[in-house]
Amino acid sequence: MADGVALGDLERDALTEIVNIGVSRAASNLRKMIGDHVILSVPSIDVVSQRRAARLITEREAADLIAVRQDFTGPFSGRALLIFPEANSLELVRAVTQGELSADEVIEIEREALVETGNVILNSCLATMANLLRSSLSMTIPEVMRGSGATLFGVEDASPSDGLVLFLYIDFAVRRLDIRGYIAMIMDLPALETLRALLGDFIARVVGDDG
Amino acid sequence: MADATAEADRLLAMLAAAGASGTWDWEIAADRLRVDRRFAELYGFDPAEGLSDLPTARFFAAIHPDDRARMRIAVAAILAGAELFSKEFRIVTPAGTTLWMHARGQSHLDAHDEPVRFTGLLVDVTERKRAEERLRIAQSAGGVGSFEYSDGFATATVSEEFCRLLGLHPAQALPVRTINGVLADGGVPLIPEPSREPPPETLDHVFRVRRADDGDERWIARRGEILPEGSGYRLVGVIYDVTQAKEQEARLRELNETLEMRVASAVAERQEAEDALRQAQKMEAVGQLTGGIAHDFNNLLTIIIGNIDTVLRRFDSAADPRARRSLENALKGAERAASLTQRLLAFSRRQPLDPKRIDLDRLLSGMSDLLTRSIPEAIAIQLAPAADLWSIEADPHQLENVILNLAVNARDAMPDGGSLTITARNVTAGPDAERIAGVPDGAYVLIQVTDTGIGMTADTIAKVFDPFFTTKEVGKGTGLGLSMVYGFVKQSGGHIEIDSTPGKGTCVSIFLQRQHPGAPEGNEDIETPAARPGKLSETILVVEDDDDVRAYTVSILRELGYRAVEAHDGATALRLLERQETPIALLLTDVVMPQMSGQELANRVRTMQGDIRVLYTSGYTREAIMRDGRLEPGVDLISKPFTYHMLAAKVRDLLDRAQ
Amino acid sequence: MPVTVLIVDDSKLARIVAAKALAALQPDWSKIEAGGGAQALELVDRTPVDLALIDYNMTEMDGLELAGDLRSRFPDMPIAIITANIQDEIVARAREIGAAFVAKPVTPEGLEGFLSGAALRLRAARS
Repeated sequence: MADGVALGDLERDALTEIVNIGVSRAASNLRKMIGDHVILSVPSIDVVSQRRAARLITEREAADLIAVRQDFTGPFSGRALLIFPEANSLELVRAVTQGELSADEVIEIEREALVETGNVILNSCLATMANLLRSSLSMTIPEVMRGSGATLFGVEDASPSDGLVLFLYIDFAVRRLDIRGYIAMIMDLPALETLRALLGDFIARVVGDDG
Repeated sequence: MADATAEADRLLAMLAAAGASGTWDWEIAADRLRVDRRFAELYGFDPAEGLSDLPTARFFAAIHPDDRARMRIAVAAILAGAELFSKEFRIVTPAGTTLWMHARGQSHLDAHDEPVRFTGLLVDVTERKRAEERLRIAQSAGGVGSFEYSDGFATATVSEEFCRLLGLHPAQALPVRTINGVLADGGVPLIPEPSREPPPETLDHVFRVRRADDGDERWIARRGEILPEGSGYRLVGVIYDVTQAKEQEARLRELNETLEMRVASAVAERQEAEDALRQAQKMEAVGQLTGGIAHDFNNLLTIIIGNIDTVLRRFDSAADPRARRSLENALKGAERAASLTQRLLAFSRRQPLDPKRIDLDRLLSGMSDLLTRSIPEAIAIQLAPAADLWSIEADPHQLENVILNLAVNARDAMPDGGSLTITARNVTAGPDAERIAGVPDGAYVLIQVTDTGIGMTADTIAKVFDPFFTTKEVGKGTGLGLSMVYGFVKQSGGHIEIDSTPGKGTCVSIFLQRQHPGAPEGNEDIETPAARPGKLSETILVVEDDDDVRAYTVSILRELGYRAVEAHDGATALRLLERQETPIALLLTDVVMPQMSGQELANRVRTMQGDIRVLYTSGYTREAIMRDGRLEPGVDLISKPFTYHMLAAKVRDLLDRAQ
Repeated sequence: MPVTVLIVDDSKLARIVAAKALAALQPDWSKIEAGGGAQALELVDRTPVDLALIDYNMTEMDGLELAGDLRSRFPDMPIAIITANIQDEIVARAREIGAAFVAKPVTPEGLEGFLSGAALRLRAARS
């Protein structure tokens, strides 16, 4: 792993906590949407190659995946993904519509409901992170993607440089409904440098002189 | 409110008593910290300070400096809206001891998702930390990965070594599907798929996996326990790599499985070698036997033929024509016996060969008459030697015999007629040319005798070279034909092959090595030599252990006009030679004699009289007088039985030959 | 007192959720829905609207733009920007045009403050 861009222990801790906050917010929102308890894992953060990021996902999910993708730009840019097994999709839609819709309507609304769910979850997560890092991000309208981990991370059309990315993911599960998924985020390298600077500011604010 | 506080205090105290190391309650809005007694003790707070209304900064007071920044960030996250707090860190007690703590906390949010309180429990996990360390080292050192799985869950808790063994990215929990995804074949899953099957009966199993990272195929053993839990179960187990053991096992099994086959093939090979050896021994024994018989037989025939010959030469044919016919019949019978003996010797490869450079084309055309006479008209004969045949070196008389023999066999295979083809052509076997099975690389003249007769089965072919094997009716043949052919070819350094299909015919191929120019060309004077007389001035020493043969030989020589002296063994001959006043022109000696062989005698005589000519007589000839199957120069040989004319010619020829 | 609420969101699901929260708090109020900014502007031309709940993140015209438009035409209309994008910057921009900020997903608790404030203002305006 390229040492030059790897995050220091403290930077990693800070980023983990920021993601933790963002995802907590996201989970809290998901909880509000489906009215059920959402379990979160401790976020995992790595600086890896795009290919490896794709493998990390495929390794953990053999089945076809569905993802809501939202790109963000600002002091740091990247892509956030809400990923879950395709088989979970309708279950999730049923849960967020809270039994208001018939089975046919659920199928009809599936795509749009996924977009909205992803929008709420990713937006709140990214917005929280932006606030904590005292910067602002603009976010695209989310879109739904289907395919393997490689498709989702765009490593299939092997870009000449298999660039390093910051890969972070967090598992979430709704036990009662057998829904589980991941929130993943990839950021490219220039963004990573900016992110480090922002994290440094954040650490300084939080830790102060205490060291 | 006071009641509630008291209640909370009591609860915290109870928790502390039950083993919890300490509790805290951080009021965010008020920025105050409240801890229990145990927390205060661990942190070394002054009891006089009280346990509530502490500045929140005190939360970080006892934390190990190396962990402090990390913990500040974690707490900041909670204050900013993170829900869960689960951290391990070190504290340094007032006594200076470093202890590992696990702090588990939670933020409490108001209706607007704003955090208001942060409460938690502090547990001393120093012992667990050490145990974990030991376990981690045990796992990595022993290559053992552990897992734990609760039935119905989609994920299993795993150790780092577990991931490493399966080539997966290290994680604390892996989806069951991911774990089972490394299995190289279906069947038993490594971890049961959620809500699919009843609990396994045992965790003891060996799996073939394809490692996720490098694709390497490994054997992984799983062991562990199935613990019932409520209506379900929990699996706690380990995995470890058994590829090496598996491979050894497979090698051993393969060895066992192929053992029988390898033994069978070794036995078969040995059997074949033994058969070949037995065959060779049989041939050798038969050869010895026939050679021995032939030797004695030839002596007897020499006497019989010689004496009949003598009588016939002196007999007045007009006096008693009937007696003469009888004598001639007797002579014919004896000559047939002689030719039979010759064939026995040929088979035993003990016949003396007199190889010469042969022009095969001439030899074959010379045989044309003989063949036409021996083969009935119903059989079309074709003699087709190719042009520019290479020279070969062989005994021309024997080669004629061989071809005649094969022709006669062909004739007998075609009782209803057919065609007989005798061809000769040049062939080269070798890397640049065709390969001929059983024939070493080299240049050959190939003689083929082909018939369109009844053919032979493979079984028959396998036996045709055995002496006395015959397909002919009793009395029709001696069964020595092909074995003689075989013996001749082998003795001449050639190769022979038989190709035959029942009902189609037979083709016998003889490969004789190409002879490069240099060897003397044989002048094929096969016609009976004329008896040329000798002179009394020419003394011949006859050495022969058989009295009758010696007497006969001496009588012929004297009749021819030579002066003959005789000895019955080598020693006598040498003594005789010492006393001899006139030089001996020729030593005529039997080859095989007791005490001193003909060869030894000849050598001794030569030291005494260098210019002496030597003529061996032999019923058969061992290598004793042959070098590479040939006679030494200055030496000649006359085969027993010999006639008056044959001996006369040979002796004269030798005496007249320029030294 | 009949009150008409305009809900603008390009997500049907989001409109359902918002309508549900609205119904829980003010069951007597009626609502009209629009899937985007253009449709919303068309609707307000034909139908009198008392207050508006506007999604921020929409494809053709973002919610702040629409809110600004409505504000210039109805200076007193209570307007709320609804979004999960709770960035300080967005919140600040909503305030600038006199719009309230309600976080997504919309819950009765989250909506309550805005609705009770709006009800008071409407009552004051009509009396």
